Amino acid sequence: MLQMSKAPALPATLLEIVNLTKSFEGVKAVDDVSLHLREGIITTLVGPNGAGKTTLFNLITGHLRPTAGDIRWQGDSVVGTAPWKIAQLGVARTFQDLRLFSHMTVFENVLTVMENSAWFWQSEAGSVTERRRRVHEILDATGLVHKAEVRANDLAYAERKFLSLARIMATKAKMWLLDEPASGLDPGSYERFVTLLRNEVRRGITICIIEHNLEIVVSISDRISFLDQGRLLADGEPDEILSNPELSSIYFGERNP
Amino acid sequence: MLLLQLIINGIQVGALYGLTAVGFSLIFGATKIFHFAHGASFAISAYVFYYLYAVLLVWWPISILAACIVVVVFGVALDRYVYGPIQSTDGSFFTIFVGSFGVAVVVQNLIGTVFGRGFISVPSALSKSVELAPGLYVAPTAAIAVVIAVACFVALQLFLGRTNIGIAMRALSESPALVRTFGLNPKAVSTCAFALGSLLVVPAAVLTSMTSGLNAAIGGRVMLISVAATIVGGVGSLRGAACAGLLLGIAENLALWRFDPQWSEAATFLILFAFIVLRPSGFFGRAVNS
Amino acid sequence: MIAYLINLATLVCINAILAITLNFIMGYAGIFSLAHAVFFGVGAYVAAFMALQWTDSLLFQLVAAMLLAGLLSAALALPALRVRGDYFVAASLGFQVLATTVFSEWKSVTGGIGGLVGIPPASIAGHAITDPVEFFGLAAVALALVVVLTTAIVRSSFGRSLKAIRDSESAALAFGKNVALIKTLSVFYSTAMCAVAGVLYADYLSFINVESFTIDASTLFMAMVIVGGIGTVWGPIVGAVLLTLLPAALTYLPFLPRTEIGSVQQMIYGLAMVLLMIFKPDGLMGAKQGEA
Repeated sequence: MLQMSKAPALPATLLEIVNLTKSFEGVKAVDDVSLHLREGIITTLVGPNGAGKTTLFNLITGHLRPTAGDIRWQGDSVVGTAPWKIAQLGVARTFQDLRLFSHMTVFENVLTVMENSAWFWQSEAGSVTERRRRVHEILDATGLVHKAEVRANDLAYAERKFLSLARIMATKAKMWLLDEPASGLDPGSYERFVTLLRNEVRRGITICIIEHNLEIVVSISDRISFLDQGRLLADGEPDEILSNPELSSIYFGERNP
Repeated sequence: MLLLQLIINGIQVGALYGLTAVGFSLIFGATKIFHFAHGASFAISAYVFYYLYAVLLVWWPISILAACIVVVVFGVALDRYVYGPIQSTDGSFFTIFVGSFGVAVVVQNLIGTVFGRGFISVPSALSKSVELAPGLYVAPTAAIAVVIAVACFVALQLFLGRTNIGIAMRALSESPALVRTFGLNPKAVSTCAFALGSLLVVPAAVLTSMTSGLNAAIGGRVMLISVAATIVGGVGSLRGAACAGLLLGIAENLALWRFDPQWSEAATFLILFAFIVLRPSGFFGRAVNS
Repeated sequence: MIAYLINLATLVCINAILAITLNFIMGYAGIFSLAHAVFFGVGAYVAAFMALQWTDSLLFQLVAAMLLAGLLSAALALPALRVRGDYFVAASLGFQVLATTVFSEWKSVTGGIGGLVGIPPASIAGHAITDPVEFFGLAAVALALVVVLTTAIVRSSFGRSLKAIRDSESAALAFGKNVALIKTLSVFYSTAMCAVAGVLYADYLSFINVESFTIDASTLFMAMVIVGGIGTVWGPIVGAVLLTLLPAALTYLPFLPRTEIGSVQQMIYGLAMVLLMIFKPDGLMGAKQGEA
């Protein structure tokens, strides 16, 4: 995969962000950002706190409405589309604060994500046995099988992180937006986490990830987009972004005041 | 002339609604506690005043002072011994709401048992109407209500803008962490919010006891109006709550122009519902879609 | 004595249906409504009005009452559910106040403050149910059906969606759940079933008036759910049993004047709500939460 992204021809665009702006009471949290999220690779959003990364996610998923600009999913604008419809189009996300279904069991957390219909019949999710089998597979892959009947609230921190990932694996989404999914993981869990992501990308999933830890950014990214104060400062190959002295001064300036 | 009469009545009632709603809004803004028992505070202070002034014939300033003390103690005690423990364990909107609602139920029934469930009112020369123009009757209480409401609101704004704890109270609605940077204990700020918010019901309680009268169930009604005014005005905006209270008071009275009195509460509900549908952020509020 | 017990048991069944349906939206959908008594009232008035004017057929009464209550609640819920939970509480409180006024003023339909009297007994397939024991059987069957149906829904994919929305609405949205539709459907179901209790109530007592459908009633139903344990299967039933028997038990206290029983009952459950929230927010049956 890394090889592919370094080839001169870039993969096709799955989601296109065009001159996107979002202001809160005059303050521009996202300021005229244009960005292509390309198929089958991992794009990392980096930048200091308050750079507008999570706001960008909220705009893409429809949780927020942009002040100006456009968001195109496979060429069609999705601005103004309800969040649940955007999700059904194929964009799934995790949250920085996880937002697990805290009073439901681990098993139910994953199962309910597959059941997208508001009615009783789940024509697109397969039979009940089929669904249960898939939940098992996912819990197996994320190492949560022995916790299947535990309430999400009662999980340890790393387990909660993996449940958040298990939930997104249960969707049929083509694109995952991951908001700091690895923060606070110990090295062992982190290894497993990266392997999982790589497997999913190999399966054809497109990932956009917000990450602070530079080590993780280096090891995981195919492309990096650098945001600061709502503006997109740079967008390119990891090497060129990380070797840019101006960007690292902004980045580390914020990190070590 | 009837219309003018209704508007004047509406302003009198609305000023008092506004003041009560500001108390609720202040508590909600500063502590995020949905203080459903705010109506109970109103009922308690009104009945304390009634009992001392009209039954025991205590001098009126003492009666009002006693009402103030009792209601502040009630509010602060709730914060300390009911909301505090709930917040330290669960603290979800629901548990606080149920706890608060339970208190309101207990208070309403205690008052009903002690003072009876019928209407009572405090006789006072101040509520005797004078015919200002042909067919236009105004009692001194109307002027008193407006003057006191404006005075209280101005005093509150000064307090919130000028004093350390007042600024902290406004900050608490933004972020609890910010308050610690002021060197103030969030608990102390919360206590202060409950004391002030509860105190703000006293003028309305006393004047209502002289004008339209009291019954044991008045707390629930006051509660509906406070919540409605807070939402219509925009959550977190004291100015909004005050204006919305005024609006609700006027609307209730204007409804009398065409409808029977029992429908006046419907006006409150219709305005509330219209705002929830058309403008959920209220007059001055920010977007609130969860 | 037997007649007295049968009477209590019938009322317990009706109250249990009310508590279960309220628990369905409070415990599983996270919607806190103070207007449950309105839909209880709608069911009761529809049944009474139909019985007095057109038909004593229980089936027709049930269908009409469920539809009317469900549609009314959906009309209320669609706009109000778009906003925050505390707004819905306020909106439902306002709606309860408005509905109480309508119940007591719309004299041609509700009989005004005096209510409707002499409601003829309901009939199933031409057989009029006049015997209290038979009626208790009917109420018990209705309760059993509501329990089975509600439990089935809670355990279905729909129930999981509801719980997901309750736990995190934004996450549920982000995973493709049509939150507004799911919530509205759940409110529709809850209020339609609540209307069933209303129909039974009107047919059983053969007399109804606004006093059974006020904010005090809504509060009582909420207390049943909370005391028993919100979000559990048995909690609301336990709560309904306890709070229905409470006034009956209070009449055995000789020092209590009869006129104060209602008041004392409310004080007891008000206090119970406060203490439970402080010490045991999950309710009496709360230890079992999560199994559902």
